[in-house]
Amino acid sequence: MKKIAFLLIGFILLNSCESDSTDTPQSDTFDRTELLINWADNIIIPYYQNVDVALSQLRTEAEDFTADPSINSLNNVRESWKAAYLIWQRTAMFEIGPAENNDLRLNLNTYPVNATTIEANINNQNVNLTLPSNRTAKGFGTIDYLLYNETTEDDIIAQFSTEDGSALRSAYLMQVIDDMQTLINLVKEQWQNSYRDEFVGNSGSSATASVDRFVNDYIFYYEKFLRAGKMGIPLGVFSGNKEPQTLEAFYEGTLAKELFLEGLDATRDFFNGEHVNETTSGESLYSYLQELNELKDGANLGDLINDQFDLAFTKVQELDTFKAEIEDNDVPNDMLGAYEEVQRLVPLFKVDMVSAMSINIDFVDADGD
Amino acid sequence: MKFTKHPIFIATIMAVSFTACTDDDDATTDVQLEVPTNYNFTRNGESTVNFSGQTTRILMADELNDRLLDFSIDDELLLNQFSNENDPFSSSDLNDSDKSIKSKVAASADYFSTNLTLSATIKNTLESWLSKQANEIFPFQDNSAQAGEAGQLADGDNVRYVNAQGLEFNQLFTKSLIGALMVDQTLNNYLSPAVLDEGQNREENDSDILAEGKTYTTMEHKWDEAYGYLYGTSENPANPNDKIGEADDYLNKYIGRVENDEDFSGIAERIFNAFKTGRAAIVAKDYDIRDEQANIIQQEISNIIGIRAVYYLEQAKSGIATENWGTAFHDLSEAYGFIYSLQFTKNPATNQPYFNAAEVDDLLTDLMDDGEDGLWDVSVETLSTISEIIAAEFDFTIEQAGS
Repeated sequence: MKKIAFLLIGFILLNSCESDSTDTPQSDTFDRTELLINWADNIIIPYYQNVDVALSQLRTEAEDFTADPSINSLNNVRESWKAAYLIWQRTAMFEIGPAENNDLRLNLNTYPVNATTIEANINNQNVNLTLPSNRTAKGFGTIDYLLYNETTEDDIIAQFSTEDGSALRSAYLMQVIDDMQTLINLVKEQWQNSYRDEFVGNSGSSATASVDRFVNDYIFYYEKFLRAGKMGIPLGVFSGNKEPQTLEAFYEGTLAKELFLEGLDATRDFFNGEHVNETTSGESLYSYLQELNELKDGANLGDLINDQFDLAFTKVQELDTFKAEIEDNDVPNDMLGAYEEVQRLVPLFKVDMVSAMSINIDFVDADGD
Repeated sequence: MKFTKHPIFIATIMAVSFTACTDDDDATTDVQLEVPTNYNFTRNGESTVNFSGQTTRILMADELNDRLLDFSIDDELLLNQFSNENDPFSSSDLNDSDKSIKSKVAASADYFSTNLTLSATIKNTLESWLSKQANEIFPFQDNSAQAGEAGQLADGDNVRYVNAQGLEFNQLFTKSLIGALMVDQTLNNYLSPAVLDEGQNREENDSDILAEGKTYTTMEHKWDEAYGYLYGTSENPANPNDKIGEADDYLNKYIGRVENDEDFSGIAERIFNAFKTGRAAIVAKDYDIRDEQANIIQQEISNIIGIRAVYYLEQAKSGIATENWGTAFHDLSEAYGFIYSLQFTKNPATNQPYFNAAEVDDLLTDLMDDGEDGLWDVSVETLSTISEIIAAEFDFTIEQAGS
């Protein structure tokens, strides 16, 4: 009920503040094709390639670890998991086309995971990981569980070496990585082989055009997965109860903040059209707003958004780990304050930016059941 | 009946106590109704409100609902919970109760007292869905569903378990039970003059003759039993609207859902106020006002069933368009149950359901017969057709209900 009420209030607030820019709308002559080309060729496809490489590295380290479990090989596989998890944060927002058709985000990174299902799957051997019911028992979160569910490194190593079922456990770790590689490869290759041209070619401005759809996906990601999933839900913003067990990378325990910041930085870079090398950039939502010369209360909307990105980033960066913030404070005021700065971007996107670009928001807050 | 967007205005009107003339021969005195803020009624300092039987049945139905996706059980337990046989529940309070869900399914005085064949058919249908959940869905838990094959489907981060035609029998059962138990008992039994005025109820109520060993008159109790099917498991049953929708998996939940649609906000308050006012009218022995309030409740609860049927039909369209089958079939399984429940609604203008059993059958046949694989083949046009047929009988539009 609180969640619904919160969403309703949010909905009303959002709808009650129409874009209050005072200038008359410019005619929209922005070249959407150039924008789509920059997104596809310099951002989306290169990042999928990077995730693919990172997962290959993870696979190599996992093979070494399961062949010869040791402190050294455990640390290596953990580090490669962290590296891949961070790069994944840069692709999680691209849920369109082949990623959308394959439910990539939910297949690779559903959390919290279900430890009971994971342990059952380990014992059952060769379970079908493509089943929707196994989404809570695979992906990055499950590797987090497998590599960190015991406090000491020795205990983890024992699970993969001396304890009963260690061979099955090793096999399951490899099966989970296989599943992730298969999905990323599928999505990457479909982008390269066919979807890139379809995406770029659909350059109009209508509800089904690439820019309109992708901007919706981008805002949806920002609102639901970044803001709510990584911060709001663990903080108890919607339920009224703190839920630290819903943090990303819960078993590792300290990574959730870094993963959030990587995701926030990724959405900022995407807004500015920054390329995968993070030194050059191309046409972007920012340059689109500049072309439209969109003002909000007399200030440049694109700059307002970037300023808010910077403020939100700084506020989150100043926090302790998310787990410590939530568990060590009766009321986690600092993290709630940072969350509010993250939240302030939502209306700038969802009301002001889309209004300037004449894009309709196509997702609504479903009422569940 | 018009839906207003000014619930506060309505609430204000309903909150003031009002006067009306009695209709007996010496009708010269005005009756002053004392409508309380909360649903509290007393006699000699003792509460006269009791609906424990309704609370019991809702609790039974909630536990049965929890079991519908327990893949470790067979249909025997589900059927036993439905009829409360062989100690099927986790709590001894429920096991020891002489009540059951089944005994009050399709059992209202108005619709079924002389229609026992239909009553039996409906009970059989609900039982068949429980059996099919266990026999057509549980064995295929780890199968990927496809046209003609039972199994699981993704619906966002939820998993849906469907039969070969795409139906979730747990949804068919629970949404149909809202009609067959809660709506039928409330609208067509306890709010019906046939029950409220049965036997000596009026004379006893007029003379404050209480039910044996009780604090209430029989008529007061009948009215409260209607109330219990909506609010019987509320955290605060006397003031249920501050947490409307949270009390159960059945009618209370969907009053909350419709209330949260801004096109219909105020409906929860209108229902609650009608219950309070009608109960106050019984205390004041004014049966015209009582029946007017019953008609308001019948109208609004019927609206809820119609609104949710259309809502799910419309919601399913986007899932079908994007081939998100799990999302679409979940919506359509809920729609199926709410359509089934339409036969238990009551239009106060006719005292008949908005759709009778035969008409409901036709709508459900339409939903399932676009191809041999049921929901896998259903077209968006078919969904529009069914939505239009339903909305045409009510005062809401497809646009209002559909989002």
